[in-house]
Amino acid sequence: MPQSLTLGAPIPRRRRAPRSLALAFALLAPSLVFLGAFTYWPIIGVTLRALTQQRFGQRASWGMDNFARLFADPHFANTAWNTVAFAAGTILPSLALALFFALALRENGKFTAALRTILVMPLLIPLVAAAALFVFIFLPGGGLLDYYLAKIGVHSTNWLGNPDIALGAIIAITIWKNTGYYMLFFLAGLAGIPEEYHEAAKIDGAGPATRLRRITLPLLGPTIGFVSVIALVNTLVQIDHVIVMTGGGPSDSTNMILYYIYQQAEQNMDLGLASAATVVCVGGLLAIAVVGLRALERGIHYES
Amino acid sequence: MRLFPTLTLALSLVSGAAQAATDIDFFFPVPVQGKLALEMTRLVDVFNAQQNDVHVTAVYTGAYDDTNLKTRAAIQAGRPPAVVLMSANFIREYVINNQAIDLGRLIAADKETPDAFINKFFPAVRINATEAGHVYGVPFQNSTPILYYNTDAFKEVGLDPDKPPATWQELVDVAKKLTKRDGATMTRSGITVLSNYDTLGWLVSGLSMSNGGDYYNRNWGGEVYYNTPSTIGAVQFLDDLVHKHKVMPEGVNDANAASNAFFAGRTAMMIHSTGALGFVRDNMKLPMKVAFVPRALRNAVPIGGASLLIPTGNTPEREQAAWKLITFLSSPEINGGWSRFTGYFAPRMAAYDTAEMKDYLSKNPDAKVAVDQLAYAQPWFSTFNTVGVRKALEDQVQAVLSGKIKPADAMANAQKAADALLRPYVEQTALKLPE
Repeated sequence: MPQSLTLGAPIPRRRRAPRSLALAFALLAPSLVFLGAFTYWPIIGVTLRALTQQRFGQRASWGMDNFARLFADPHFANTAWNTVAFAAGTILPSLALALFFALALRENGKFTAALRTILVMPLLIPLVAAAALFVFIFLPGGGLLDYYLAKIGVHSTNWLGNPDIALGAIIAITIWKNTGYYMLFFLAGLAGIPEEYHEAAKIDGAGPATRLRRITLPLLGPTIGFVSVIALVNTLVQIDHVIVMTGGGPSDSTNMILYYIYQQAEQNMDLGLASAATVVCVGGLLAIAVVGLRALERGIHYES
Repeated sequence: MRLFPTLTLALSLVSGAAQAATDIDFFFPVPVQGKLALEMTRLVDVFNAQQNDVHVTAVYTGAYDDTNLKTRAAIQAGRPPAVVLMSANFIREYVINNQAIDLGRLIAADKETPDAFINKFFPAVRINATEAGHVYGVPFQNSTPILYYNTDAFKEVGLDPDKPPATWQELVDVAKKLTKRDGATMTRSGITVLSNYDTLGWLVSGLSMSNGGDYYNRNWGGEVYYNTPSTIGAVQFLDDLVHKHKVMPEGVNDANAASNAFFAGRTAMMIHSTGALGFVRDNMKLPMKVAFVPRALRNAVPIGGASLLIPTGNTPEREQAAWKLITFLSSPEINGGWSRFTGYFAPRMAAYDTAEMKDYLSKNPDAKVAVDQLAYAQPWFSTFNTVGVRKALEDQVQAVLSGKIKPADAMANAQKAADALLRPYVEQTALKLPE
């Protein structure tokens, strides 16, 4: 970008501006059309829908009724709470584990390479397929998990059928599924840290803990910010396993916002409520993305 | 898949052939296994080959819920399929939303009355197919809950495998004998009643009806009877099986957990759909039998399954072509053949008069029990917002099964949640009074 700006500068602006503007639009048109049709228009459409009050057999009118109903709906509060618990339960542990594994396996060797491959394996299994497998691992009494737990004297557990445990089971799978993925980012981030910094620190007498705290973590800042945003978005949009394994149950204990939106739109045919929930959800995501990207930018400044 | 009918349509338009066959599409779901989709495609090929007026493209549309979704999307897009095999309890909502046509005109063209037509099907399936005396659906495949039991387990504890429990009391007595414990843990449960979403509401409706209730208003989609003695009693019965008699595992037991426990001898009995009969028969290594679901005050089981309907928005030609396909699929021979292939029972009564069917039932006593139980079958729960209203009950019953709440409170909550979902419809119908 900076290069093209300096190249464009000497050209007299008054004469050239309209043509280059047209050219710019022409060049941008393909992506603009797709962005407009598949991103901006749906956002406008869903916002308009959310502001349209229409219940069975009644005329449509404008208003905030859908939002009022949304915030009064205990199911929405419940799914929002579940989503927060799910996010908190998955993001921190999977990021911590991913960072730990990345630090432990950063050196190149046959053994570490093999371990890295094993850790990345879950990434290659589609979430739906993994969920279908875990249904049988979690089978109460006869499942793989209970089979081995029985050997150490732990009684059979209804992993997916107990409202106190089901969300924990879902969180465990999510951590298993995502840790390897995040580890890849951290490995890339670690590879970008010049070895001289560590060597210089070593000469100055800094121990491994100090070097981790003073060099590795700060320089890994942008990566951590980026992975955090990805992880947050994942907890909102990756719910295939919830649908396959529990359908949001028992008693709504594993239901998430995204599935709630689906239930309102497709099962209860309440598009107004579904749109309002979508607007709230997208708004939340945007806010998170902005905060996350800010953090990312700060990290970049630190590095330079 | 959509390309082919479009292509043939385009070709017929180009050639301008007046004699060309009417092209229609047929959405069908497969709720159980992949083999069924092949058989349905084969049936449609047979239909296409035996006449020249109609050419049908069969479109596999996923599970019942997916089919519902895709059909509604197609109707809204102005390109409705000509025929859909739709979950029987969704028909009422199609009628409420004016998305399914009254089949009376097509029936009349065959010189029949709607009553005479629908009376060719078992009484239990008629109510879900009709609304206020008008026929909207043609029943095609149906199921009911049934009691599966492990006869080895019966013999082991000194019970007669030819005398399955017939009443709730007997069920409790038998289940207590069948339950095996190792200290505090249950190594074999006496019974497992499936309790995942969708199935749980279906089974509770049967228990409630067996307990003397109606469960929902069969004539109008705005009322459910959750907070009533018949339903509270039914839920209390389930609660007691878990927490008082301790013969059923706590929490939710979905179809996977229950059937695998049954196959492994970790539950001696289970209440599951007749639709799973083939699956259970294929996977159960231990000897087993099936029996009527035990009764409280009367024998009662709800039907499940699907009916054929014609969405609104089709041309009269397409409607007539659709009707030809429906007539073919619901004929006793085809309907009976589909029943033998799938394990569903055939809703068309005359299917059981065919020689093949009589032969099949004599060789498969399990299937005969399922058909005999039809005498006590009741219609399937269907209201405005069926899925949401059903879930309102299921969330609460699941909490009861997990020991989080007592049945009376749970049903009060369920009623409140269901009433809120029904409210918009109620306001526009029963409570819309003259001004």
